[in-house]
Amino acid sequence: MKISYAWLKEYVNLNLNPEELADCLNQIGLMVETLTRFEDDTVFEIETYANRPDTLGHLGVAREIATLLGLSLKTRNWPLRELPQTTAEMVDINILDPQLCPRYCGLVVKGVKVGPSPDWLKKRLEAVGLRPINNVVDISNYVCFSLGQPIHTFDLSKIKGARIIIRKARKGEAIRTLEGETAELDPEMLVIADETTPVAIAGVIGGEESGITETTTDVFIESANFNPVSIRLTAKKLGLSTDASYRFERGVDPNAAPAAAVMAASLLCEFGGRVSRGLLDVHPAPRKPRTVNLRLRRVNELLGLEIEPDFVVKTLSGLGLKLKEQGPLVWTAEIPGFRVDLEREADLVEEVARFFGYDRIPSAVTPVKSFDLPADRKRDRVWRLKEVLFHHGFDEVINFSFADPEKEQLWQTGCRPIKLQNPISSKLSILRTSLLPGLVENAVWNFNREAEGVHIFEVGNIYYWEEEEVHRENLNLGILTTGLRSGRTWREAEKETDFFVLKGAVEDICGYLGYEQLSFEPVEHPFFEPGQALKILVKNELVGLLGLLNASLARGYDLERPAYCAEISLQELLSRQPRPFSFQPVPRYPGTSRDLSFLVDDSLTYQQIQQQLQKLNIACLENFLIYDRFQGKSLAPGKVSFSVRFYFRHSARTLQTEEVDRAMREIISQLKSTLKIQLR
Amino acid sequence: MSNLLEKIEHYRRLFADQVSRVKEARGVEELRQLFLGRKKGHLTLLFEEFKTLGPEEKKSAGRMLNELKSEIQNRLAELEQKLQAPARVEQLEDLTLPGRQLYWGAPHPITLFQREIERIFVSMGFSVEEGPEIETDYYNFEALNFPPHHPARDSWDTLYINDRLLLRTHTSPVQIRVMEKKKPPIRIIIPGKVFRRETPDPTHLPMFYQVEGLVVDRGITFAHLKGTLEYFLKALFGEKIKLRFRPSFFPFTEPSAEVDIECIVCGGQDRNCRVCGGSGWKEILGAGMVDPQVFKNVSIDPEVYSGWAFGLGIDRTAMFAFQIPEIRQFYENDLRFLRQFNRR
Ligand SMILES: [Zn+2]
Repeated sequence: MKISYAWLKEYVNLNLNPEELADCLNQIGLMVETLTRFEDDTVFEIETYANRPDTLGHLGVAREIATLLGLSLKTRNWPLRELPQTTAEMVDINILDPQLCPRYCGLVVKGVKVGPSPDWLKKRLEAVGLRPINNVVDISNYVCFSLGQPIHTFDLSKIKGARIIIRKARKGEAIRTLEGETAELDPEMLVIADETTPVAIAGVIGGEESGITETTTDVFIESANFNPVSIRLTAKKLGLSTDASYRFERGVDPNAAPAAAVMAASLLCEFGGRVSRGLLDVHPAPRKPRTVNLRLRRVNELLGLEIEPDFVVKTLSGLGLKLKEQGPLVWTAEIPGFRVDLEREADLVEEVARFFGYDRIPSAVTPVKSFDLPADRKRDRVWRLKEVLFHHGFDEVINFSFADPEKEQLWQTGCRPIKLQNPISSKLSILRTSLLPGLVENAVWNFNREAEGVHIFEVGNIYYWEEEEVHRENLNLGILTTGLRSGRTWREAEKETDFFVLKGAVEDICGYLGYEQLSFEPVEHPFFEPGQALKILVKNELVGLLGLLNASLARGYDLERPAYCAEISLQELLSRQPRPFSFQPVPRYPGTSRDLSFLVDDSLTYQQIQQQLQKLNIACLENFLIYDRFQGKSLAPGKVSFSVRFYFRHSARTLQTEEVDRAMREIISQLKSTLKIQLR
Repeated sequence: MSNLLEKIEHYRRLFADQVSRVKEARGVEELRQLFLGRKKGHLTLLFEEFKTLGPEEKKSAGRMLNELKSEIQNRLAELEQKLQAPARVEQLEDLTLPGRQLYWGAPHPITLFQREIERIFVSMGFSVEEGPEIETDYYNFEALNFPPHHPARDSWDTLYINDRLLLRTHTSPVQIRVMEKKKPPIRIIIPGKVFRRETPDPTHLPMFYQVEGLVVDRGITFAHLKGTLEYFLKALFGEKIKLRFRPSFFPFTEPSAEVDIECIVCGGQDRNCRVCGGSGWKEILGAGMVDPQVFKNVSIDPEVYSGWAFGLGIDRTAMFAFQIPEIRQFYENDLRFLRQFNRR
């Protein structure tokens, strides 16, 4: 909202310089965003709030400043040159829906000479960014931006039967608006109609047909009050926002309507106009003013200070509230109609605080009476896994939760995507069902900007319909590694990333979070190349997938290098109980180790061998390490060689060689039966 | 007989295995005792056993036994000499060559900044709460005292999923969810992703991060809000930063405030400052006393309890703190941008 300093002075005597005035406005929350010179005037662009329609006119802003500075508002007189006829003799006003139109005031001004406005009026309007059109239209705007009460002017000769009917639109009715567009009306919309057709969309915009033209001489002034919700719904449906609808949807003071009509009529008198006698004021059910109780104790309790009762009375009275002392330091305040925001005691406390000055309220430490233990350790674990990934050299990314449905479809995530009703664009019209598409796009973005390797991860939600009407958001981890793993140095050549870089990171995440029973199973999945992907299982439950990105998906994104990626459901993983940490005493006696090399069928995987080794039931076997896998021409066809180092230890004494020999014999015999090993 | 030959072979392998693991001179002596010790050495015992054999058998076994003995002696002597020689480390010619560096991945700057904020509040006894990103109109608006069809909703332009569900426009619905579950005292912060129907420009995006704080207890005042936020902003931006509290409007707080901090870019000296527009102040967060209607909506008696709340955009604050010109850089994920933040 633009506020002109000169215009403000029509309502209050001010002699501050503009910067001082800006400071005053800021203190009471009418935040000055910009301050610009306009000829000999200064214009403040102030931030206004949805609950303060009273500040959408210069009078309202002047009232605030006057209260702050302890000044009084000027009263202005609006003399009329009256016609002998009464308004009621000239027009008929009929409100059919008093719910949507609580008050409608009208005056007729005859003999107006339509033409350009005088300079003083043009200057006022231009200062606040309005374009002068003609004296009649400019006067409506001047009244609206003075009082915050929108008014509308009709060419009386175009109103058939001189009848003003405020009713809902009929099915199929339409109106050509002042903007020259045709608006289709629906029966929820309130209109101003004459005998036959709508002449204006109530509180939003007038009709072209009944508008003021060069040839107009007789003007009908409408100064009315409309239901905020109805105006908002109509304006939204029509995609229109006007100075009038902007004010009405925030709530205009019904008591402002008569004064605005008189002000407009008085100004029209200066252009040859003569005004009908007696304001026609249709006000079927005047509302009683709201009252709110205020306790000084409550003011002090909420603000944390001691305020003088005189300050409270002076401030609230200045703002137009009528205070009656109800008891010691308790008042009943009658709220003026223009303050739609003041409904509860807390609202009045804010008024006192605003004018007292937030900067003068002391600062204090928020007292603590108890501490809460963290509900769960999920957040700690998520950070821990990020640390593991940082250590592995992965950078963290954050992508939009939105996705492009066309691209997402290529991935066949198997999740029914959630569509947005009013997306920003078609490319951002669904919520992502996987983190991997975003990571692939990040890889391409960086390869196109000189990156030689991209190793990234994201922790974030995916979203989908689990069933009709049941939505899910699931916390996932996505990891991607592609390109060079490390650059060339004087010691080493550059290294390309590979599958096991990714797998090592996944294993470490599970390991460092205490998820011990980690296993993998081959899987075919549309994300990955055939035969190049694994399921990730914890305690035999699926928690994610990893593998080599499917080549046709990669091509779809112009990603040329092989990319290895994993997606893990953290919801699944973190809902599992990790192994509780328990301290193990440091061994006191030396251990010993023995190596064993053997051949097995090459259909056996590392994991199968490892699982069998884990099942070995040998008392002093502490650990083992599979340190070699070899397959080649020197071996019998269909065979693969593994080498394992076994570590032995007794907790209470040094092991004897014979015991270790015996254990090795036992190991060999068990493996001969379980894995059919042949010793090399 | 075959028994002795097998034993010789066994000890040959045992020796080979054990000698390969000797790393110091002491180990050599231990092995010598183990195999050649005068009374219980493995070979000494084998020689005893050898004496009980017949002449034919002695021939082959004797040769093998002696071979093993000299092999062990030679191997141990050789090893002993090697281990007693002073350790020789490769001499480097150019010590100015760079060392082996290890790349440590970079946390996303939003994560980093969020953690800094969390750390400050956790040190004041706050706990961290989270909530869903897909919300209902009730939690996102109605319970927070936004009447239906009120223009106040315009500042929280919303992405809808259907008539019931939407993407939360702020983290405030979590306030409601927590107050529904837990009775005061409450002392929490709520970080998270939020969504607005904003067309992307240098300072707006349809998705960004917020952190929200809430305190509810008996006797909580506006002065407590001021004191806590002053401490928080000084912890984040430094002891000397200047603050300004000014009245504002939010449906869910009354009185409401906005907090500005002095422009750290120009210090109020540049009329055309890109960051503060010349005003010298930068709007940093919104706050206020919890609106009594919000308390009523969660069955907390506003006559007994009071509370304060604040909300701050993490992205915008990080932009200001690090002087990042455009918000969308956070979500482009350019490694040249991201990797700077593991040096912080
Ligand atoms: Zn600045």
